[in-house]
Amino acid sequence: MKTETSAVPAATAFEPRITAFVCNWCTYAGADLAGTSRLQYAPNMRIIKLPCTGRIDPLFVLKAFEDGADAVLVSGCHPGDCHYTSGNYHARRRWTLFRKLLALTGIGDDRLFFSWVSAAEGQKFADLVNDVTAKVRQAGPFRAANPGRRA
Amino acid sequence: MMKALREAAAKLLQEKRAVLVIGYADRKGRPAVFVSKPEDCGRLVYDSSCRQNLAAYLGKPELRARLPVAVVAPPAVLRSLVVLTAESQIPAGQVLALAVDHDAFLGVFDAAGAAELLRSKFPDLGPEKALLERVAELSKKSAAERAAFWAEEFAKCTRCYACRAACPGCYCSRCIVEKNAPQWVSTAALGHGNYTWNVMRAFHQSGRCTLCGACEAACPQGLPLMVLNAVLDREALAEFDARPGYDPEGKPVIGSWSAEDDHSYMR
Repeated sequence: MKTETSAVPAATAFEPRITAFVCNWCTYAGADLAGTSRLQYAPNMRIIKLPCTGRIDPLFVLKAFEDGADAVLVSGCHPGDCHYTSGNYHARRRWTLFRKLLALTGIGDDRLFFSWVSAAEGQKFADLVNDVTAKVRQAGPFRAANPGRRA
Repeated sequence: MMKALREAAAKLLQEKRAVLVIGYADRKGRPAVFVSKPEDCGRLVYDSSCRQNLAAYLGKPELRARLPVAVVAPPAVLRSLVVLTAESQIPAGQVLALAVDHDAFLGVFDAAGAAELLRSKFPDLGPEKALLERVAELSKKSAAERAAFWAEEFAKCTRCYACRAACPGCYCSRCIVEKNAPQWVSTAALGHGNYTWNVMRAFHQSGRCTLCGACEAACPQGLPLMVLNAVLDREALAEFDARPGYDPEGKPVIGSWSAEDDHSYMR
């Protein structure tokens, strides 16, 4: 076994907690591919798998923020590739409006991310997680700025 | 104008084209009045202080047992009637509109006629200028300032759900906020539940809100709910050309889709 030599982050260092809502058929499979391909990526993402992006109620996003997520990622099949034909098209309409509503209440592009990742895009998934984690790390902890934080 | 409205209402009741007329009462605050006898139509009024959207009563089971009805309807309420028709919430031919505007009585219309009237006489009903200014002013602030603004506003919410009761679009027999296994929205009048409730209430109206202002008028705490509604109205119009309340056969924005929808924000 290799001995851990890298410096352990100080207890006070900020580690973003990011909730990812992904669909079963594309992005989850893409994340699986990233894993089986032994790609290294930031360990900050907590993945919640759902059957389809069409199943992702905007309420889930609010719940994640309420329960302490620093950011939320929503990801599914590319347009035209939905396992259920049109779930991602339905979802896309919702997100288009929902993100504007959240932006008005102070939850912007640095907290809420959307992507298409297919089952073949393991590398894209790894890069995406690294990129989102870096952005959230820069944005800092969300709790104090969250308009819907727990009292 | 008032005379024409009362006469038309009485005629509908006499001819049994309606068994009930829902209107604004000639009392302080202009509460709703339900008139079922032609001789009582003198109680009906309409003026600028009528803030309620009477189409909200059409979702009530008690009222659904007393069809057909007629509703006193200024333009925003006419739009609500058309939205409810498009969403199959009004049995065909069972609801008539007594259309009014400022100081004019415009006639009796069914849903198709109301849509026709709106398209010809009020083709561009949208957020009022003052409301758009409120949105613009808030949009100018930083994200942190906006979050602080809403945290402060939502903190006033007592969760009385008057906004929901006032809205014709909120007709679900079981609202998300009443679902408790699991409980998605905390019902305590605290920051997180208040945020989720108010944001989701607005979101559930996206592409359906007719900007009648009844929710904000009903709010006893004076929350700026119309700002949330207006931003969704603006985006639904810009992105999906949504004009709720102009087409009784129109498809809802959420619930339909197009392969050409924008997704430039998707990574």
